[in-house]
Amino acid sequence: MTSTFSTPGDFEKKPTSGRERDVDRDDLEDLLGVLSAGTERPPEQYMCDGVSPIMAARPSSVSELAEILLVANQRNLAVMPQGGRTALTLGRPLTHYDLALDTTALNRVLDYAPEDLTITVEAGITLKLLQESLAEQGQYLPIDPPPGDQVTIGGLLATARSGAWRGHLPAARDLILGATVASPDGSLTRSGGRVVKNVSGYDMHRMHTGALGTLGVIVEASFKLSPLPAAVSSFAIVCSSLSRAGTVACEIWDRNLATRAITILDSKTSAILDCGDVATVLVEFAASESVVVRSEETLREILRDYDMSAEHIGNDIWAQIRSLTHRDGIDTVIRAGVPASEVSGFIDHMEIIDGPSWGHVAAGSVWSCPNVNAQTLLGLRVVAERLGGFLQLESGSKSLREVVDPFGVSDAGLTDSLKSQFDPRSTLNPGKWKAVST
Amino acid sequence: MARTQPSPLVHDLQAALGIEAVLFEPEDLLPYEFDSSIDRSAPDVVVLPRTTEEVAAAARIAEEHHVPVVPRGSGTGFAGGAVAVMGGLLVVLTRMNAIREIDAANRLAVVEPGVINLDLQDALSSFGLLYAPDPSSQRICTIGGNVGTNSGGPHTLAHGSTVNHVLGLEVVLPGGSVVNLGSRQVDAPGIDLRGLFVGSEGTLGIVTAITVRLIRENEAIRTMLAIFSTVDEASNAVSEVIRRRVVPMAMEMLDQETIRVVEPRVNAGYPLDAGAVLLMEVEGLVEAVDQDSEIVIEACKSQGARDIRIARTAEEREALWEGRKSAIGALGHTAPALYLLDGVVPRSRLPEVLHQVLGLSREYGFKCANMFHAGDGNLHPTVLFDPEEEGATERVLQLGGEIMKLCVDAGGSITGEHGIGTEKREYMDWIFSEADLEAMSSVRLAFDPTGRFNPCKILPTGHGCAQGHFEPIKRKLGPGIYV
Ligand SMILES: Cc1cc2nc3c(=O)[nH]c(=O)nc-3n(C[C@H](O)[C@H](O)[C@H](O)COP(=O)(O)OP(=O)(O)OC[C@H]3O[C@@H](n4cnc5c(N)ncnc54)[C@H](O)[C@@H]3O)c2cc1C
Ligand SMILES: Cc1cc2nc3c(=O)[nH]c(=O)nc-3n(C[C@H](O)[C@H](O)[C@H](O)COP(=O)(O)OP(=O)(O)OC[C@H]3O[C@@H](n4cnc5c(N)ncnc54)[C@H](O)[C@@H]3O)c2cc1C
Repeated sequence: MTSTFSTPGDFEKKPTSGRERDVDRDDLEDLLGVLSAGTERPPEQYMCDGVSPIMAARPSSVSELAEILLVANQRNLAVMPQGGRTALTLGRPLTHYDLALDTTALNRVLDYAPEDLTITVEAGITLKLLQESLAEQGQYLPIDPPPGDQVTIGGLLATARSGAWRGHLPAARDLILGATVASPDGSLTRSGGRVVKNVSGYDMHRMHTGALGTLGVIVEASFKLSPLPAAVSSFAIVCSSLSRAGTVACEIWDRNLATRAITILDSKTSAILDCGDVATVLVEFAASESVVVRSEETLREILRDYDMSAEHIGNDIWAQIRSLTHRDGIDTVIRAGVPASEVSGFIDHMEIIDGPSWGHVAAGSVWSCPNVNAQTLLGLRVVAERLGGFLQLESGSKSLREVVDPFGVSDAGLTDSLKSQFDPRSTLNPGKWKAVST
Repeated sequence: MARTQPSPLVHDLQAALGIEAVLFEPEDLLPYEFDSSIDRSAPDVVVLPRTTEEVAAAARIAEEHHVPVVPRGSGTGFAGGAVAVMGGLLVVLTRMNAIREIDAANRLAVVEPGVINLDLQDALSSFGLLYAPDPSSQRICTIGGNVGTNSGGPHTLAHGSTVNHVLGLEVVLPGGSVVNLGSRQVDAPGIDLRGLFVGSEGTLGIVTAITVRLIRENEAIRTMLAIFSTVDEASNAVSEVIRRRVVPMAMEMLDQETIRVVEPRVNAGYPLDAGAVLLMEVEGLVEAVDQDSEIVIEACKSQGARDIRIARTAEEREALWEGRKSAIGALGHTAPALYLLDGVVPRSRLPEVLHQVLGLSREYGFKCANMFHAGDGNLHPTVLFDPEEEGATERVLQLGGEIMKLCVDAGGSITGEHGIGTEKREYMDWIFSEADLEAMSSVRLAFDPTGRFNPCKILPTGHGCAQGHFEPIKRKLGPGIYV
């Protein structure tokens, strides 16, 4: 069997890695030799962009993972590390995909020191499982739950994801204290440490944050934790217009209440979430009981001046927001970064497109599931950039990701230089950053 | 009139930056030979650029002349990061000191690297905003230097270090190209080059503008001083507070040695017979402050606090902090020289490690004072010594190494905020393997293929670095400088 891609003609475009080869399963004998029993998995379970890898492995130890990666590198295989598989279509389609490297068996808590508010885990652990073990001690990793229960720590670091809490609370990139990473050369390297403050050497764990698994496979990570808030309470504020929503949302943000999220929904999103059919501002408070009560009082005072009111709603609204991007039929997902004061304006701008948009004010991040072509998308990017921001294509069809650069960053070639230092044979997620056709 | 014949390098720099921006007479170079570490070495040329373009031109010229480039802010760093140990070109950023923009609505500011940390804080106060990183050197250190070292401060406990407050960087890379890392917004796409750059101690490029995230001043703030008979009790109280689920904004400890020096000079209100004091601050909504301070007080009492004083006025608060902030300056008056160390341990290990630090210092025959960021487990043992005394400097350095080993053995790190520089290069392999260090070299190569930027810093290897130019110097920190 030869490595095949579902759409014929994919290879008409020259892979940027310059690695043109056909790999046969028979070629993988030495790889099979390093796998322990049960590590090999059915490749068809690891499809991405319609492509199945030749082989899939789910190593049960860090050293096994490192060994597999080394052999794959020596054999010139293209490896896609993966955890929860919720964000594999972030980035360009891979030019090759031979081996799926599943991290989910690396799911142990290695060192939890509640009194130091620190934890070290293997990277395949899901955020959900991690939070459950921390909750027993009244602690948590203050990162809001991602769209799926299966999201792993490695995946959320590699994608540098953040959600509605961002801006009120730190993100994974701020909470990470150190990491261990497996490199294509088989080495396991560490940076940072397990203490809450540390400036020894380069923070390579930050480099791997957002690197989408193109520079190494994160196998362990240490984090700073927080005490769990005792009370959480959510409110919906129905607004007559998006611009009014923006004004009110910024005013609430400005008051330093116990807010953990302030999110503006456009009318389409409001409708999907059964919040009415006009723009809505959602607010979440999280703190001790009395502080949440006081925050609510102040919220109501603010709104009185605007002749508006806040309705108490269930906290599960946030889970519904997170699953907005993962509804049936959703193909394209974008995230723009704009100034907080421009969030409602940018959402308003998005009204021209078909699909819901919503934005987290403190982070200045606007999410949308638009039904758009490449040209419209690039136009939206220009708008975000004029505001001093950016626009990332979080997910999209293979064909869209072939023509649109998902990231839109210029970095004087630093990403390429790092790639050639850390993965000179382009073993890990080849083509993720680069246009296939340029 | 120039007495020294300008070298071709000087000539090119003068042509690009103007004559008055280039220093090369030996006596003009003198102030730039050292920072706050014990290293000393003269650069060949100093430039004082005013614009990003001038920095880029200087970097290009240095490349053409194959000379090392060392970025420098105020030179308050403790690790020798701003010392030109291999000579070459020292790029001093202090003239680039404009606050380019304050966008209060979006809580960000854009500053040039030479802006003094406190000047930014002052400019923000009328907006009710703060830039969270508050190194104790904030009256003199630059934001560029803070980025270089990923500085922390008393409020790092709640707010994190500099890296958590930098949104974007404009950087002149080795070779002279200009690149923007990060953005004006959080979570820009791609590899977190911004996060990688912060704390790189001038080895990856020169920062020429910084976009920082600001935070809103809180409604209420309460500053408390808990008084203990022993350092043990105070350390245990730190853990107890956290155990009770409160993370104060700041938790700073001063031990008896420090109190006895500081109090008579500053009248901060620290009891002279105390074994240790904890200076703590909680912030937030009024309700949160009431609640949290009650928990903090209970926790301290449970660990044997003799007394807890609460600042009732802004002046009282200032006085309590003044004691902490003037500590290093005050200590400077009691001995011909100080060696200020920086190490981190898990905070639950504080009591035992502090014991060991004091024990070791006694063995070596030195006085050691401690004032530090207890909440973060970030120790600053300060060894008092006389460099004129035969062999004292060598012994102090040896003691420093042993104290660092204690931190490493306790699961900690060899620096929490001051950086590696030249000072701790040799200790890097205590915490990192050869493979780890090789990976770090790869980062450096990706940014700086010829290794010309700040050579001999951070990594224990480097061509010609072994011999060093290290001449311990006698130093006294002036008044108004504090740690
Ligand atoms: C359509 C879409 C919508 C989204 N919506 C939201 C949202 O509303 N809110 C939100 O907060 N987030 C959202 N996300 C983000 C996403 O859910 C997160 O990025 C998630 O953390 C990915 O984790 P995972 O384990 O599923 O990673 P995977 O999908 O398995 O992997 C993602 C990427 O990381 C790499 N990777 C995985 N594990 C490792 C590792 N151990 N080391 C190195 N690289 C690794 C993979 O190669 C891949 O490039 C969205 C993503 C997409 C694609
Ligand atoms: C009394 C005293 C108290 C202190 N208290 C603290 C404290 O509480 N917390 C703390 O973290 N530190 C503290 N320090 C150490 C020091 O002040 C900090 O490290 C500070 O960030 C250095 O700033 P600087 O402008 O003096 O930088 P310098 O000392 O000039 O440089 C520091 C490093 O950054 C690099 N650098 C400088 N500018 C740039 C630039 N524009 N681009 C790239 N690299 C650059 C240099 O090459 C060097 O490696 C203290 C120092 C003193 C003397």
